[in-house]
Amino acid sequence: MAEDPYSVLGVQRSASADDINKAYKKLAKKWHPDLNPGDKAAEETFKQVSAANEILSDLEKRGRYDRGEIDASGQERPQQHYYREYAGGEDGARYRSSAGFEDIGAFSDLFGDVFSRRAGGARGGGGARFSRRGSDAQYRLEIDFLEAVTGAKKRITLPDGGTLDVTLPAGVDDSQVLRLKGKGMPGTGGAEPGDALVEISVRPHPVFKREGSDILVEVPIAFDEAVLGGKVEVPTITGRVFATVPPGANTGQTLRLKGRGIKTRGGSHGDQLVKLTVVMPDLVDAELKSFAEEWRQKHRYDPRRKLKEQA
Amino acid sequence: MLSEREVLARVQRLTVTRLRVWVKQGWIRPAAEPEPGFSEADTARAALICDLEDRLGFAEEDVPVLLSLIDQIHGLRSELKGIIEALDELPDDVRATVRLRIAMRNQSL
Repeated sequence: MAEDPYSVLGVQRSASADDINKAYKKLAKKWHPDLNPGDKAAEETFKQVSAANEILSDLEKRGRYDRGEIDASGQERPQQHYYREYAGGEDGARYRSSAGFEDIGAFSDLFGDVFSRRAGGARGGGGARFSRRGSDAQYRLEIDFLEAVTGAKKRITLPDGGTLDVTLPAGVDDSQVLRLKGKGMPGTGGAEPGDALVEISVRPHPVFKREGSDILVEVPIAFDEAVLGGKVEVPTITGRVFATVPPGANTGQTLRLKGRGIKTRGGSHGDQLVKLTVVMPDLVDAELKSFAEEWRQKHRYDPRRKLKEQA
Repeated sequence: MLSEREVLARVQRLTVTRLRVWVKQGWIRPAAEPEPGFSEADTARAALICDLEDRLGFAEEDVPVLLSLIDQIHGLRSELKGIIEALDELPDDVRATVRLRIAMRNQSL
């Protein structure tokens, strides 16, 4: 099913022909498959945008669409073969340019050869020396959530019985890799040793979740606290604090505790986000029941109004 | 190989004048050997230039800039593909080291 061409182009139904043309050009530039060679979805979006423009750029078709005489699908045009389909193949090879990466590969043994060969030049071989830098050693280190947040010193026991001390910087994140210079395998022929690469794995915490440098916590509040507001005790990564719940708070509402998050590399701190959940008492007693009945008489409201509008 | 006439028939909005100008500018480079003519890639490239000028509203003087960038991207993509395929053939531990190195680089940026 094709979508409404106005919403595809993101214009009002009252948009002028000029607005439509501008909106189309903007989206077409963004989504043309040849300007997005690796993005498969771009072609589909570009087709939709073009089909929408097909209808809206033609006064007669636009009128017929507005009157409901035609639907949004328009006619299929013969499929265009985009250049990107050929550009990677043998046929496209003579157009491909290597001008963009001479600087990247110039000093690398791996790429330097490739590029200089292409340019028709030859690389002189260096004199042979029998020394070789030691290879890097890889380790994995599992740490607690709070150790990752505050930083910690850990000791890894190596397979050969030796140990390796690792200082975790505050705010280290899951799957981050720390490099310990010179702590890898020894070099040969007087060359320097390799490095130790320590991949960090952070155990999840039952209460705290991490999002970038922010900490997320879900905190239940009683319904009277939700109605009247007040101070509630909230755990943070540095201890308990009181957070102010505004009167009329609701489930899903989020409070931001500035600077209570994780220390960033720049030295500043993220925030803690407190997501509120309103919780009813375990037991609804007669008093609460009669209050609710009385309240309902005068103040009935429909929390599902929006839901009904949408589905 | 396609003749000029066949290319014109395949690409909407393409005229013989436009095609000849583009060939003269070097934006499209039809083969001279073994037989002269246009390939599928040349044809798709002509359709691309039509799109750039007609549908996307770029000026004629923008086209060589865009083509040059697109050609560089495909050059890079092709080179990258070659590197990835070469890496795929290496033993697991070597690939793990490469992966780790890349992760480290991304981190230190």
